[in-house]
Amino acid sequence: MKPGNAWRNISKFNYSRGLLLMGFGAVVGLFLAAIGLFTAKGTSTLIVPPEDVALVNQQPIVRSDYLAQLRTLYDVDYEHATPQQRRKVLDDMIREELFVQRGTELDVASADPATRMAMVSAVEQQAATDAMTDLPNDEKLRRYYEAKKARYSSDGYMTARDIVFAAGAAQDALAAARAMTPEQAMAKFGAKESGKLSAQEFYFAADVHIGRRLALVAEALPNGAVSAPVTMPDGTHLIYMIKNVRPVPLDFDKAKAQILADYRRDSSQRMLAHEQIFLRERANILIAKDMQ
Amino acid sequence: MKSLGLAVPLGIGAIAVLAGLMTGAYLIFGNTMDARLLRAEPDGLPERADLMPYAVAHGRSIFQSECASCHGREAKGNNAVGAPNLTDKDWLYGFGRVSDILQTVRYGIRAQDPRGRNLADMPAFSHPEPYDREKLLPLSPNDVGDVTQFLLAQEKRPADAAAADRGQRIFDGRGGCWDCHGQDGGGDSEVGAPNLIDNIWLFGDGGRADIADSIENGRSGVCPAWVDRLPAASILEVALYVHALSHPQEATR
Repeated sequence: MKPGNAWRNISKFNYSRGLLLMGFGAVVGLFLAAIGLFTAKGTSTLIVPPEDVALVNQQPIVRSDYLAQLRTLYDVDYEHATPQQRRKVLDDMIREELFVQRGTELDVASADPATRMAMVSAVEQQAATDAMTDLPNDEKLRRYYEAKKARYSSDGYMTARDIVFAAGAAQDALAAARAMTPEQAMAKFGAKESGKLSAQEFYFAADVHIGRRLALVAEALPNGAVSAPVTMPDGTHLIYMIKNVRPVPLDFDKAKAQILADYRRDSSQRMLAHEQIFLRERANILIAKDMQ
Repeated sequence: MKSLGLAVPLGIGAIAVLAGLMTGAYLIFGNTMDARLLRAEPDGLPERADLMPYAVAHGRSIFQSECASCHGREAKGNNAVGAPNLTDKDWLYGFGRVSDILQTVRYGIRAQDPRGRNLADMPAFSHPEPYDREKLLPLSPNDVGDVTQFLLAQEKRPADAAAADRGQRIFDGRGGCWDCHGQDGGGDSEVGAPNLIDNIWLFGDGGRADIADSIENGRSGVCPAWVDRLPAASILEVALYVHALSHPQEATR
């Protein structure tokens, strides 16, 4: 058999072929390892990736953060920064990273309330990130809108006057006052304006200013109507409604921005609740007997 | 021992090839277009004719798959959800520099990332507690109407002069609007407060009803943070593409 044929005949052992294939395999393996070394996220490496300016115990200091910090501190871009400015910002960022890492080693969060609060807040934010930035399609939003249609209306508001009569005012006097203007009623019966309603009030504001009971009475009045007497601790009230603009349901397109915001908020609350359930399920929580 | 004689040069060859490949890998991965982009000063990149065509082409493709759902395929925005037009030079945050856009793309706007843009919201003045971040009092429907008239007047549109005058006092006083939007309504791109006198509207069409709606119900648009979703180079490419949209002369230079 010619030497060339011995190489090609795989049924026969060939020392050179074996060595060559072994070398080839090693080269391929090392090549793949090199790719991993230079590219894989989280890989321990001696080379600083191009998106970073430094690695501190393999934790990156991101180049764009560094440039932003340079701009914040000195209001310059990298090209116009002095070597001292560049060095100072880098040193500060390395120092911060070292101290954060040391803080993790020392388990600062277990003792420092501020760190604990910051961590809780950060985890909450992270859990809700997807929900808060999600852009659901119109079909999903419409379903949400249909389910919660009552939420979406314009704000009701009113222009009304709240006139207070002395406690125990006669019923026929009150009945007569209802047929008068507020000025006439005040002049004739010595009633006073409560002064709690301003020229125009959103429903919620009327609620705050004259109280829920009177506000509900007012909201039900049509334009130009006067309420039935309402007895309150400070006297008997008549509400003279000048203009009552009731809330008008908003259609989907008009309310879309609000629907989207509500949808995201509801989703984020759900995600947070799920996160808590997940964390409780995987945690080993022991509760003292007297607390159970 | 003919075979062993061949093995020695083969082994040396393999080691030489290996060393070559290692060097090649370093050169390749250390000097790809992405790496060159990432190592460059972002604000200087629009001048780099050797890098921009590559970056803009990649950025466009990523924009179409990730950003177009809000901003539209032409990046003209969507007033129904407050997604801004990215092709004009009206910047809600920053000054339209690549570094400003990069910051927004990386960390988002109100995207639950502490590094993101999240300094202020538009309060909802028809709500009992208009603003979570600080104490503000609600406005009455008349007040909302007056502030609306003031803004219309600021844009030289037809407005009731007396109401606009009252509106200005609210704008500069108890409404606290000046704090973010500036006393002239010109906005503040540090906190993302829009310019209210340039006839560019983020929500709605700038009509009386839409302005009043914003004052009454507040606004707080959101842009996702892409820092954990896209590679650093892709984020930079998107930022460069968005920059090129609003600076077409530089992109074609």
